Amino acid sequence: MAISKIENKTAVKIALLEFLRSKYILYAISLILFIIFWDISAKMNGRFLPRPWAVLMELINGINEPIAGKILIVHLWYSLKRVFIAYAIAIAIGIPIGLLMGYSKLINAWIKPIFDLFKPMPPIAWISLAILWFGIGETSKVFIIVLGAIVPVILNSMNGIRLIDPSLYHAIRMLGGNSRQEILEVTLPASLPAIFAGLQISLSMAWTTVVAAELMGAREGMGFIIIRGMSVSNPAMIVGGMLVIAVTAWLLSVLMTLLERRICPWKTELEH
Amino acid sequence: MSKVSVTGLTKEFGDLTVLKDVSFEVNKGEFLCIVGPTGCGKTTFLNLLAKLIPATKGTIYIDNEEADPKKHNISFVFQEPSSLPWRTVKDNIAYGMQVKKIPPAEMEARLEKVIDLVGLSDCINLYPNEISASMEQRVAIARAFATNPDLLLMDEPYGQLDLKLRFYLEDELIRIWTESKNTVIFITHNIEESVYLADRILVLSNKPTTVKQEVLVDLPRPRNILDPEFSRIRNQVTDLIKWW
Repeated sequence: MAISKIENKTAVKIALLEFLRSKYILYAISLILFIIFWDISAKMNGRFLPRPWAVLMELINGINEPIAGKILIVHLWYSLKRVFIAYAIAIAIGIPIGLLMGYSKLINAWIKPIFDLFKPMPPIAWISLAILWFGIGETSKVFIIVLGAIVPVILNSMNGIRLIDPSLYHAIRMLGGNSRQEILEVTLPASLPAIFAGLQISLSMAWTTVVAAELMGAREGMGFIIIRGMSVSNPAMIVGGMLVIAVTAWLLSVLMTLLERRICPWKTELEH
Repeated sequence: MSKVSVTGLTKEFGDLTVLKDVSFEVNKGEFLCIVGPTGCGKTTFLNLLAKLIPATKGTIYIDNEEADPKKHNISFVFQEPSSLPWRTVKDNIAYGMQVKKIPPAEMEARLEKVIDLVGLSDCINLYPNEISASMEQRVAIARAFATNPDLLLMDEPYGQLDLKLRFYLEDELIRIWTESKNTVIFITHNIEESVYLADRILVLSNKPTTVKQEVLVDLPRPRNILDPEFSRIRNQVTDLIKWW
């Protein structure tokens, strides 16, 4: 009787330890601790750092109370629309350029010096020129996002082709495959994961850049919300905007990962 | 009649001469093993035969025509696993037959037979990154066998397999070869393996590589590695390879 009680107790203890070691529980604990830390800091220094609760209320308010004539979700939609347009342009231009650069040494030699010159330039550095060229409207914003988003697309498409294991080509050639079969069976599928990784980086680049682009002279969008929060001196609006930006970025990357699993099922990754 | 005829084959990489004036013939239906010291250019040799890299000098004829993988029914089992990561085990094995446009019914029948032969029936739907290296090598072997090639080139295909599987696949290779009457060129650094398998062994020299000597292995199959004649030939080949 006594022994089984002790055994039960250890069993409970082990189960509890297991529970505490689970990844998701640790995630939750980490987040809760962060929010508590945030709340305490805000309480001590309340003027410019809003408390979590105030931010939440601000976000709920934003659902039906317009900021500068538009509710929060419409602002989010404006930012997303800019990102998607620019992203589509970056993909349409970037993938062919990257593939050509990977495929042909000659084309690579033509494009590489120019590309290397522009690559390290932060897209935001283009803002003034973009406004001079295209005015303050949509075009200049999309232009800047394209500049930011196209770099990883080109780089990864190029490396995707260049880093293909030559023995795969040998295998196809030995089985009697022609160059069309080499492209369809090796070049395309082998470069797909790298291209996709580039698209993922590119999307998060685009999302970062849109917010920056909107900090300058936009009347709508998530970047505008943050600027608006500053000019009406409402820190809760700023932090609320930042949270929406972060959550959206996370959702977009989850979406891309799911898409990648559909498109490249052979690239199963180990869960850590 | 000779199946493969190599004359004056020479390969230079810059100043480095890897192969120097190699000439030999392979008879139709013959099982030829090529052995040589490590780093003597055995793989380069086979890559030249398969036309994967261009020769500096010399000619390679298959059936009295310039060798061409698109025309001749050749299969190559590489030393490194070379399955396509985006195809499942089954689709990888089928690939060679698809290129050669084997009719679907025939393809299914051959697939089943060859998958069973290499013992991969349990994992036909897995991707190459989900199986072990030795299983991946079996995929390459199955892919080569499935196309039923006239000329089978094998570059240390069993180097990565464990002993038991190796003995089993050596016997299976002999069985398939006896049935199909195809010509096999098999590269190995394992002397015992070469004596076990070959009709004839070409012993290569150190770089710049030439054919040092030919050794005929006229023993009945299945061969017995304890047979004194077997040991004699094995020692003869070993002595030819020794550089110390």
